Amino acid sequence: MAKSFLERLGKEWLFWDGGMGTLLQEQGLKGGEKPETWNLSHPDIIREIHRRYLLAGADILNTNTFGLNRLKFPRERELASVASAALRLAREARRESGREDAYIALDLGPTGKLLRPFGELDLEEAVTLFGEVVRLGKEEGADLILIETMSDSYESKAAVLAAHENSDLPVVVTNIYDSRHKLLTGGGTESTVALLEGLGVDALGVNCGLGPKEMLPIVKELAEITSVPLVVSPNAGLPRAEGGRTVYDVSPEEFAREMEKIAALGIQVAGGCCGTTPEHIRSMREALEKLPFRPREKKRRTVVSSYARAEVLGEKPVLIGERLNPTGKKRLQQALREEDMDYLLGEGLKQEKSGAGILDVNVGLPGIDEAALLTRATEELQSVLDLPLQLDTADPVALERAMRRYNGKPMVNSVSGKKESMETVFPLLKRYGGVAVALPLTEAGIPDSARGRIEVAKTILREAENWGIGPEDLVLDGLTMTISSDPGAAMTTLETIRLAREELGLHTILGVSNVSFGLPRREIVNAHFLTLAMGLGLSAAIMNPGSEAMMQSYRSYLALTAKDENCMDYIAAYAGTTAPTGGGAAAKTVSAAAAAGSLKEAVERGLKDLAVSETKQQLLNREPLEIIDGELIPALDTVGQGFEKGTLFLPQLLMSAEAAKAAFEVIKGKMAGRERETKGRILLATVKGDIHDIGKNIVKVLLENYGYEILDLGKDVDPETVAETAVRENIALVGLSALMTTTVVNMEATIRLLRKRKPDTKIVVGGAVMTKDYAEKIGADRYARDAMATVRYADEVFGADTIS
Amino acid sequence: MILEGEKGLLERTPRREILRYMGIRSGEPDPALGKTLDRCFSEMLSAAEPRAAVETDPLALGGEDGLTIGMVAVQSRDLSRNLRGCRSVYWMAATLGAGADRVIRRAGVLGAGEHLCCEAIGSAMAECWCDYINDRLKEKAAKEGTLLRPRFSPGYGDLELGLQRAFEERLQMRRRLGITLTESLLMVPSKSVTAFIGRRFPEEGGE
Repeated sequence: MAKSFLERLGKEWLFWDGGMGTLLQEQGLKGGEKPETWNLSHPDIIREIHRRYLLAGADILNTNTFGLNRLKFPRERELASVASAALRLAREARRESGREDAYIALDLGPTGKLLRPFGELDLEEAVTLFGEVVRLGKEEGADLILIETMSDSYESKAAVLAAHENSDLPVVVTNIYDSRHKLLTGGGTESTVALLEGLGVDALGVNCGLGPKEMLPIVKELAEITSVPLVVSPNAGLPRAEGGRTVYDVSPEEFAREMEKIAALGIQVAGGCCGTTPEHIRSMREALEKLPFRPREKKRRTVVSSYARAEVLGEKPVLIGERLNPTGKKRLQQALREEDMDYLLGEGLKQEKSGAGILDVNVGLPGIDEAALLTRATEELQSVLDLPLQLDTADPVALERAMRRYNGKPMVNSVSGKKESMETVFPLLKRYGGVAVALPLTEAGIPDSARGRIEVAKTILREAENWGIGPEDLVLDGLTMTISSDPGAAMTTLETIRLAREELGLHTILGVSNVSFGLPRREIVNAHFLTLAMGLGLSAAIMNPGSEAMMQSYRSYLALTAKDENCMDYIAAYAGTTAPTGGGAAAKTVSAAAAAGSLKEAVERGLKDLAVSETKQQLLNREPLEIIDGELIPALDTVGQGFEKGTLFLPQLLMSAEAAKAAFEVIKGKMAGRERETKGRILLATVKGDIHDIGKNIVKVLLENYGYEILDLGKDVDPETVAETAVRENIALVGLSALMTTTVVNMEATIRLLRKRKPDTKIVVGGAVMTKDYAEKIGADRYARDAMATVRYADEVFGADTIS
Repeated sequence: MILEGEKGLLERTPRREILRYMGIRSGEPDPALGKTLDRCFSEMLSAAEPRAAVETDPLALGGEDGLTIGMVAVQSRDLSRNLRGCRSVYWMAATLGAGADRVIRRAGVLGAGEHLCCEAIGSAMAECWCDYINDRLKEKAAKEGTLLRPRFSPGYGDLELGLQRAFEERLQMRRRLGITLTESLLMVPSKSVTAFIGRRFPEEGGE
């Protein structure tokens, strides 16, 4: 019995086959023709190519199924017969060439569609598409699955999930990087490796896009960080057009010479992609076989990642932003209940700007569907922010759904020494990948001593190991307790940090601010506690990156421990600033605001920061409504009139609206919990097919300023969704926007459906291609020339006071 | 042919163009907006990764506004007029990449003002990138003794947007540039441009 693929992978040289497409073109495959159909129409040619590769020394054959999926082969029967033929031809070639030791890889390429939120394909749809082909491949005797030429980490994830959930075959993933060492969607080697190793692939690497020479530096990066075997399959150089054909110039001999250099970096599997032939594989095999084989070693690195960014724990302490946690934050609680994702995103961006490396996300509130909300928050945050996320929930369903949707390797908060917790979290870590915060507590509670906590940590490590999870994927929490109730609490926590690092070699984490609970000027204690913990080797701190005192500690620590080269970050943060004088604590300069004039003027001039500080100042001795009626609304009126008269341009109107919005935010924070009065609720959407939402967003900002509550369905919205929401929410006014001639038809369809389902709803339309006549023709109630016109119409519909 | 642009060339994106996209027809924006614009510009600049693909095909003009570019038959009076006298045509696709789109999305969260700035900057940068490619092609054409026609994109005049599919296929846009088409034929990343550029010989003569 020949050895299985996994028995040989990573233990000896293995060689993959080379290009298929280029050879088929030589045989007459036309541009636009699907190569997979040749499994049925030209079986002899496909079988012969496989056979030549095997005789040239390839140990692994790719089936001719790169583009095989339901999107390109909509008929189920055709899909099945192509898959079946592809696998059969590979099997026949293996038998005929006497290479029964060779393996057949079911080849899966990208679907050709971009995944949401940037494209249209949902993650689960992609999993289904790949899953269908995986099941067919498994039934027809594939030995492993190769997921290749993936330029999007999210699609790679979908394919790996599909492979794991529909088969027990080994899974290998190779991505396509460009000359900047990036995937087309922006990921780098570090984030891609973290994601794939987290998902538990058996080997990973790089293929296509570049020749061996250009690929070498990418392989070098991969070799430094990857623990699983590395697969490298370059093209035969860079493509060149010649007489309407694409040709590749690197000869088999040169290919072999270049691959020798790559092999020296410590790869385990070598193959070829576009432009390579059986001759390339033969000469490469001859050259590489003579070289000593080096298995990979486990890197034991602790990495969390987003689609593009990776945070490696241990290099310097990582700040984890704690502001997306509703405990004690009324404004965030309100935003979560209203599913106001913009607020969430704004808070996230603020923390990123302040220097957070990871964001904690916790949406747990009584009476809320946490699973749905955490998933939504995760998707929204990862579509806008680059930072990796720490999924923070005690709800196993919420955790699983968010981890599944997460585009990267998340941090998970948390697992404890309780049996139930470990049995819930470890399977999820195994399946989706992640680094878990380990809390050293058990059913019996929190051990009082550092030794006791270390013992619990050992239990957690052992149990993790049983699940195949290494210590590098756990970060021990020192458990911060309050010193005002237990004077020795901080000492115990710090000792836990020290022991975890020195005795267990574990990374550590702290939620810092608990330590000062009940004390005055808490920031002072928090900042010094952070310094002490970092001094003992703390790897990550969950804290508020907006806290200046904490950031001072952090930046000073990095400068003092040579982790801030030439003190550049420290200087960047503090050069040209002076220490606050007088009492020190409350050194906010309100005088500047006062000197610059009133809130009204700040809004009129579009000065957001000034509007915010002025509003805060005024709230000290004025009622919120008084500020709105006396300052904000008159300012907006002035600007609105200027815009209508043509003395002000759109950007200025917007800047004012933004300043007013920021002022409203401050007021909202003050009023959170109280019912807000609104003039009415309006539904806004950019119609199906249109992704230009800037006009709609401008209208939204203005309407909100004028006291309307907006249900924003976003862009590319299906008519059905608009109609269904209008009915469900009993909406009196719908605003639709379309920017392109091609999508006006969808606007018309949306109006027709709305008229049928909810005849009493008024509809206002706008957008670059819209005109008054056209609006009437497609049955809208009103054409709004610009955002102000929409406000006027809304006031008309809701019978609100018209602005003078 | 694949082109990758240096960021330096996008730095030359004319400010006047950006302001024009923002609806400011004359004068400078007020200082607050000007500062926002500068900040957005440097963010867009560092996120943009200009890439382009160009291929050339022979052109056959038929009657009744029909024309054939390489293997693709096109029906368009306006394009026929644009390409009159040409023997071959460049297919061009250019993009600022996914990073620029992300900055625009982030700006959308930060505020409509920032959003408008980034949108306008993105559009102007994409144009600037296209102009750069155009200039390189012009230089090449001059050496061959040919002249270039102004570029013409699907969606201009009566040239149907459906041709985006032909661009996708001919230029391998997804694989080479990371540009995908939505069902309604929009390009993602959004700051992407496709166009035909005709090559005309001033007088009869070989290439």
